[in-house]
Amino acid sequence: MRGARGLAFAAVVFAALLTACARTFELGGQLSPEPRPRGTSGLRAGFGRADITPPAGVGLGGNSSEGLRAHGYRLRLYARALLLEDPDGNRLALVVADLPVGSALLHRRAAALTAIADSIGLDRLVIAVTHTHSGPGHYSEAAFFNDQGSSVVGYDPVLLDSLARRIAAAVHAAKLDLQNAKAAWGSRPIWGQTRIRSLPALLRNLPPPVAPPDAPDSLALEYRLINPTLTMLRIDQRDPVTGRYRPAGAFSVFAMHGTGNASANELFDADLHGLVERRLEQHIDRDLNQHTVPSFVPEASHLFANGAEGDVSPAWPAASRCAVPVAAPWSLLAGPFIQPLWQWKPIPDTDAAACLRAARQSVERIGNAVGEEAIKLFDSLDGELTERLELARAFRTLALRQDAESLGICRVPAFGMSTFAGSADGPGRTNRWRPLGLLSLSMEQGASNPGARGCQGAKHQFLDVLFGGLPNKLAVSPKIPSFAQVSVFRIGNRLIGTVPGEVTTTAGRRMQASMLAELRRPGTSTDSALILGLANGHLGYVTTAEEYAAQWYEGGETLYGPGEAAMFGRALAGLTTELSGGDALPPSTARTISVFPGTRRALLHPGQARPAVPRFERGWCAHDTLYVDYRLGSVQDWPAASPFTASPNLEVLRDSLVVAWDDDPSVELHLRSLRQHPARWQLRWSGARSGVTYRIRLRGRLEGAPIGC
Amino acid sequence: MVEDASQLTAIHRGLWFLLWAGVGPLHAQASARFDVTTSNRYVWHGLSRAAGVLLQPSLAVGYQFHGLTLASGLVRHYELDRASPDELSELGSGTGHLGEDNLWGQVDFALGTVWLRSGFARYLFHGVVPQGGSGPLRNTAETYLAVGVAIAYLNPQLEAWWDVDRVKGGFLRASVSSPVMGWPFAPFFFVALDGEVGLNLGQAPDPAQPDNLANFSDRGLTHTALGLNSSFRVRHWPGLGSASINLGLRGQLNLDDATRYDGIGRTRHVIAWLSAGVTLLLGGEARTVR
Repeated sequence: MRGARGLAFAAVVFAALLTACARTFELGGQLSPEPRPRGTSGLRAGFGRADITPPAGVGLGGNSSEGLRAHGYRLRLYARALLLEDPDGNRLALVVADLPVGSALLHRRAAALTAIADSIGLDRLVIAVTHTHSGPGHYSEAAFFNDQGSSVVGYDPVLLDSLARRIAAAVHAAKLDLQNAKAAWGSRPIWGQTRIRSLPALLRNLPPPVAPPDAPDSLALEYRLINPTLTMLRIDQRDPVTGRYRPAGAFSVFAMHGTGNASANELFDADLHGLVERRLEQHIDRDLNQHTVPSFVPEASHLFANGAEGDVSPAWPAASRCAVPVAAPWSLLAGPFIQPLWQWKPIPDTDAAACLRAARQSVERIGNAVGEEAIKLFDSLDGELTERLELARAFRTLALRQDAESLGICRVPAFGMSTFAGSADGPGRTNRWRPLGLLSLSMEQGASNPGARGCQGAKHQFLDVLFGGLPNKLAVSPKIPSFAQVSVFRIGNRLIGTVPGEVTTTAGRRMQASMLAELRRPGTSTDSALILGLANGHLGYVTTAEEYAAQWYEGGETLYGPGEAAMFGRALAGLTTELSGGDALPPSTARTISVFPGTRRALLHPGQARPAVPRFERGWCAHDTLYVDYRLGSVQDWPAASPFTASPNLEVLRDSLVVAWDDDPSVELHLRSLRQHPARWQLRWSGARSGVTYRIRLRGRLEGAPIGC
Repeated sequence: MVEDASQLTAIHRGLWFLLWAGVGPLHAQASARFDVTTSNRYVWHGLSRAAGVLLQPSLAVGYQFHGLTLASGLVRHYELDRASPDELSELGSGTGHLGEDNLWGQVDFALGTVWLRSGFARYLFHGVVPQGGSGPLRNTAETYLAVGVAIAYLNPQLEAWWDVDRVKGGFLRASVSSPVMGWPFAPFFFVALDGEVGLNLGQAPDPAQPDNLANFSDRGLTHTALGLNSSFRVRHWPGLGSASINLGLRGQLNLDDATRYDGIGRTRHVIAWLSAGVTLLLGGEARTVR
């Protein structure tokens, strides 16, 4: 073991040296200017969106070492923006992006652009993410999430800047779309589609959690202890031509991990949230506004954000989770005279195909079910729309390390060894791994360290069994964010607290209670509070002190110790008392932050995108799947060349009618090589019928030969 | 004529099938491995054959079709420093560096967690006999059969060797390896512990066959060994292959007079040696990150 210990120490020192070589930089924050009253009454609202599906080649963030390099896409990734403006000129921009995690770096970069173009600075811009684990990594302010968010390591400033520009463009489009509007809040419980994934940790809470009275008795306990509330703000805009109000879109919040897809997925995909978004958008366009011809980009927008989803999984079946690679001797050409190397032995292709198929089935089932509930809620709000919607905001940047003592958190952040296990949604390859099968390094959920002293208490830190707290201080702690941006918004009679992380169900309830406690003072009209997680940054998970003590996966990734949830509760409560509108916030609220995104890596090469003549190579059918090999563009092309040019790259035609395009859950576009030019693609459409002839159209122009199925 | 035509058709079909099954995805199934290892001792079947500064380059090529792999390779053993007459050397105390060549060929078959391997190895010695080296008269050949299982934490393996040329006899080697540490993010890093035991079944002197050479002194256990190996995947070229740096530390308890031999007039019950090397793997499975 001495040799292993020496090698492990060398690895830690090597990682520390790499950490020291990467660059830290300071980043200021641009606040909104003082708003100017409009001079007209009533609410105005506008929607905008930008296609943010990046080129292939980057890592799919969220599944850590199991997140693969992207080789194509299924549902396009979008940033949807809703801009609200009250008569006093107060603006609030809500953005929900189909991305894995929030990023303060992305938030500040985008706000720098929207502050100039649209007078929307940090304090009035929320960038929340759906938490799809099939979106790109590499844009975080923290090296840890760039390096360990997927199997592809590194921070890519080109990707970050592209995302920031596209998100800012979506906000600008929303400003251009501002119309007189009516709005209504509503909520509805959704049971049976989500469950608590870390039940033993949740049950540690005191007082013990109790299922809501309307929880169906037929459901298992982990399904009944969730927060089932889907909360929605419906927006109807006044048509400038007819003068009549028509349904335009919605902003809604529901707690559910974006982990419908299996970890073996290698396609960009908006996952469950993408289906829920599209279900309501199609309903508004087709059923409510009678648009008979569907447009590639829906006219309506549904911003479907995540709530306190830290410990909430979608109700996927066990078959939809893929096995993980195992450490095994790699006998490839080892021969009798040479030692075999070691490898992470991948799972067989057939096993991967099976779990991917099971996952896609459950994504469609859950996505459509939640989408139907969203439609019901949207329709139910028809009679409650009002033109009055008061807007206020409060914003603060917390210096977590510098002010750790006063905030009640640990000065040195740490990842727990239980995070090596992965979560129930995405187990890691080191889950329950013990050297020689005997020695515990606490790489398992629930591996707490009850007798431990120190601020991090029950957490087993990185290799602390061997070296105490040194590896964490040298190689882990510098890669963790040292600040948090928190905000509270009042939109009508609802409060929204934003947290830069994944808040567990109980922690979320406590934060809501803290905010509402401040509102029970006389003169306030707000009656409920929401937690909007994964917003304006990412700090991992936020668990209660009791859950933290259990050191389940979420507790292991509660970086600043057991006091973190209480700290956020206090911060949100404090901000609730500071809510204001019609003013400009003092610069101290958006203090300069120190950013350490880690080693730069040029995963995207915009200069390498070059034109190419598209062409079909061959097409065929097998069972219900239509396959087409074709060449289109360059590997480094974004599927939508600019934020506003989202259009189909490929359409499936039957009798000249478009039956599918490349933003459809049954259409997959696989990039077959990351190097060849023009890019080699394969379409796989699983909606083909036997006896029917199809044609394929590329970029709206080139049509291929008929393909009989 | 008709029969000839149908035979030709069948041959054509067979050729097309082979072309489709084999040559078509050739680039995906062919692989090559190049190793350069340096160590301070060369030990084979528990027998110390050379000590000093050694360099062992090896080249192997293979072709995989589903679970079946055909592979062949060459290993060369160079002694870089000059040996004195009583020191352990395949070359003897003369000039030159190349002590031994090994040619091998094998077929591997993997079925889930179990694998089977069968092959042959040819040993060519280049030492100068009058100066205490192992010369061409010792050249020999062995066949082998191995079976292994890869399960979490434990990878047991059993090898049966049979010398078919100058020694004529069997040797069994049982080994087990276990990963101690595996870093899940690229660049991957592994540390593994392995142990082995050797059993001589018929490679000792045989009075009935005085012309046969012997590898060991007696029947029975020849040695037990324990090793700690690390492998650091320093570079991966997507679609092409990877490069690794390997370090090893190995200790052995010698149980047979032949394995204890450490040069003229010298014996050792326990030996230890270090090795360091670079491996380049190209094609096949190495094209994807592992």
